[in-house]
Amino acid sequence: MDKPKVAICWLGACGGCDETVVDINEVLLRVAGVVDIVLWPVAMDFKYDRLKGMQNGEIALSVINGNVRNSEQEEIAKLLRDKSRLVVAFGACACFGGTPGLANLTTKSDIFNWVYRDAPTVVNPNGNYPQVSSRANGEELTLPEFYGRVYPLNAIIDVDYYLPGCPPPPYLVMYALSAVLENKLPAKGSVLAPRRALCDSCGRNKSKPDRISIKEVKRIHEVEADPNVCFLAQSIICLGPATRDGCGESCVRINLPCRGCFGPVEGVEDAGAKFVSAMAAILDAESDEEIIRVVSQIIDPVGYLYRFTLPASILQKSA
Amino acid sequence: MSDRITINPITRLEGHGKIEIFLDDKGEVRDVYWQVVELRGFERFCIGRPVEELPRIMPNICGVCPTPHNMAAVKALDDLYGVEPTPAAKLIRQLQYNAFMVEDHLLHFYILSSPDFVLGPTADPADRNVLGVVQKVGMDIGGRMIEVRKRCREIIKHIASKPAHPEGGLPGGVSIVITEEDRKWMKETANLCVAFCQFSLQLFRQVVLENKEYLSLVLSDAYKLNTYYLGQVDEDNRVNFYEGKLRIVDPKGNEYARFDCHEYVDYIGEWVEPWTYIRLTHLRKIGWKGLNEGETTALYRVGPLARLNVADGMLTPLAHKEFETMFGVLASKPAHHTLAYHWARLIEALQAAEHMQRIANDPLLTSRDIRNMDLNLGKVGVGCVEAARGTLIHHYEADVDGRATKVNLIVATQHNAAPICLSVKKAAMEFIKGSEVKEGFFNMVEMAFRAYDPCLGCATHALPGQMPLVVNIRNSEGSLLRAVRRP
Amino acid sequence: MGKYNPKLVCFSCKFSWGYLTDEGSLSHEIENWVPLICTGKIDATYIIEAFRAGADGVLILGCPEGNCHYQDGNYEAKKRVYLLHRLLESLGIEKERIRIVLSADPEGKRIRELVQDTKKKLAELGPLKRKIGRTVAAGGGI
Repeated sequence: MDKPKVAICWLGACGGCDETVVDINEVLLRVAGVVDIVLWPVAMDFKYDRLKGMQNGEIALSVINGNVRNSEQEEIAKLLRDKSRLVVAFGACACFGGTPGLANLTTKSDIFNWVYRDAPTVVNPNGNYPQVSSRANGEELTLPEFYGRVYPLNAIIDVDYYLPGCPPPPYLVMYALSAVLENKLPAKGSVLAPRRALCDSCGRNKSKPDRISIKEVKRIHEVEADPNVCFLAQSIICLGPATRDGCGESCVRINLPCRGCFGPVEGVEDAGAKFVSAMAAILDAESDEEIIRVVSQIIDPVGYLYRFTLPASILQKSA
Repeated sequence: MSDRITINPITRLEGHGKIEIFLDDKGEVRDVYWQVVELRGFERFCIGRPVEELPRIMPNICGVCPTPHNMAAVKALDDLYGVEPTPAAKLIRQLQYNAFMVEDHLLHFYILSSPDFVLGPTADPADRNVLGVVQKVGMDIGGRMIEVRKRCREIIKHIASKPAHPEGGLPGGVSIVITEEDRKWMKETANLCVAFCQFSLQLFRQVVLENKEYLSLVLSDAYKLNTYYLGQVDEDNRVNFYEGKLRIVDPKGNEYARFDCHEYVDYIGEWVEPWTYIRLTHLRKIGWKGLNEGETTALYRVGPLARLNVADGMLTPLAHKEFETMFGVLASKPAHHTLAYHWARLIEALQAAEHMQRIANDPLLTSRDIRNMDLNLGKVGVGCVEAARGTLIHHYEADVDGRATKVNLIVATQHNAAPICLSVKKAAMEFIKGSEVKEGFFNMVEMAFRAYDPCLGCATHALPGQMPLVVNIRNSEGSLLRAVRRP
Repeated sequence: MGKYNPKLVCFSCKFSWGYLTDEGSLSHEIENWVPLICTGKIDATYIIEAFRAGADGVLILGCPEGNCHYQDGNYEAKKRVYLLHRLLESLGIEKERIRIVLSADPEGKRIRELVQDTKKKLAELGPLKRKIGRTVAAGGGI
């Protein structure tokens, strides 16, 4: 019987998700023995023609990482969707938009004006800007169109499963692979990671007082955080309560607070909005002035709350 | 009539790129355009972010070399806050950094470029991959490579969170101490790295330097590019990845400039063309002169060969010996031979490994004094490191609350963008005559830019042993004259 | 172009607002009126959902300070609102779009007036849809 065909593809990505697949090390060699990897730009090259020439549904599984913000990425995403039976959104960018999703706070012209005109090192006397179509030496050169905003994968195509994280840790990659190969996948639309919040498994849980009370907000570099005590109990913003578990506390273990790369917990659509409620509950200030004083100390609300998930936030989706 | 050849898709820079080659009426190569098709806007959306979060955000620029971005960001913070990291913190950071250099350099060499060397550019494409290498050399090189990569990444993970997206580092220090328990396994890893780097250089000697045909390819004109070179060196002009001054030498080897990274704006200019999203860096004081080399060029290169060209020596003894050997064989300094990048890369990996050993044995490594809390927020911070691919600069400006107001990044691969166009053009000129495209052309083009940049190298090296290419030769009306496909 | 009529959602707590009036007539009179038995029930997400559903603003009518039937529901609601103000501000959305009034009005006579007053303010601000995804002042975060 033919080996199932698998495609691993990057869209608007940094390459970290592909590196994490390589991080499963020897297991990768075993996997490569039981599937036919037909596409993996990082390790193998591909032609659009080859992909276009396939039958719809010929690929058993497409693992797609990266967000969508130009025309070529959209095209590849749709092509893979047509040719694949299952599509997994792999990594924070594909699941929610990722860190580059913060670019939705700005505009295409703002980006272009800085990059190609105002940055201090730019030398551009002819006022050139990258064009979808331009002429050089009498010939036409084309570039994909840069969109006005960043989209998570499910805004462009139908997604069957999600594997969050920046990047997803190797052990979850292995669980997901086994689930696919053994045909033991959960219901369509599921996230292939634990259901509860990071706080649930965090080693610092035992250190939480009965009632966490934040009277001011401290920034991580201004203090020497105790590596054994809950960050929120130290008045340091940590997205643990509103973030799905599964990363193995990669950041908390090196004494840095969680920034939410696993996205919202099961059943929640918008992690940032949920964190507002969590934070309100532990905010210890009575009068309006006091509340406002503490709240103003949150130096970058959208950056903390939506670092990885802005394009998938309710407000962005409704724009 | 003029013809045009499209190679699509091939190159990738965290995304996709393509090459367009234009022929003139005589069928000779007139121009080559390497187009980078992606842009994300980090320099804009980082505005408004608290600066201490930038070492956590910047690694998302590149998941293949995230540690340099993390480190350049942390150093920019040191500068912004006017704070000197504690000695232990510096050791810990450099341990992370050197571990990265070892695994990244070796990954590139073994998985991406060794097939060319070990098997030769004319070998059967089906064998030109790491499996073919294993077969020929008769050892489980792939297995050893995976082991070294795994263990180096364990160090990075331990110090800075996730190897593909390290988030560690704070202005004035690091966030976590190293214990004596940690030191034990880190030392073992360092020793393993030194041994494997030495083995790799020995392999290179055996299969490349002792192979006349291959050596002549390395020394050939087709792969030579006369440019300036830029790299970071310490006060004794030795290669230093983590800190130092920036030095530029001209194509003849004379020092053109030596400056502190704060002055980079005076030396580096970014030229914009409408056919690519990447900005083409060049020497600002000379001014953009187009894609050319030699006497009138404004182009400079960065990365392993450039760093060795700019320096008078390596930081560590074993690596330094190799440095002297290399320039002896290449018989010129600066060496303009593009393929020598691979050799220089291995020498750098050895330095990184030796440095890891030095740090792992340093008593200060386990000191608990990992944070200098004497922070004095200024307005500007510039951090510069030598990433695997070349000089990397992060420049931040902040408001009084420590939020970024301005961000300028000069990313390593940009420096080589124009030289890459030129290298490909030279290879194209060598192998394309009339509307005939020789088979060797594909390999030679790949080799020309694989030497520069792992990201590109990743993209251009196919596991099946070759890169599927379509070359369409059209006349000026766009009609297809010939299509050359491989496979 | 027609006159812009902003959409306002009004959450109000039955313990202090309008409980002496017939609920039916109040809901008839006030567009998008959502009576609750405690403003503490209003999760931050509900307010955001209101925006998603097309609201240009949200008005929350809760019990006077110290008088919450469930002890501190109104206090929690207030903290959430102020946090949301801060978040919206950093998204370039005016904080006047979420308004909370903690007071008592058993006959509900002031409800209509508060709604009109808030809608007037919203009319000045313009539709919400235009704000989302817009440039944050490029000269620095807020």
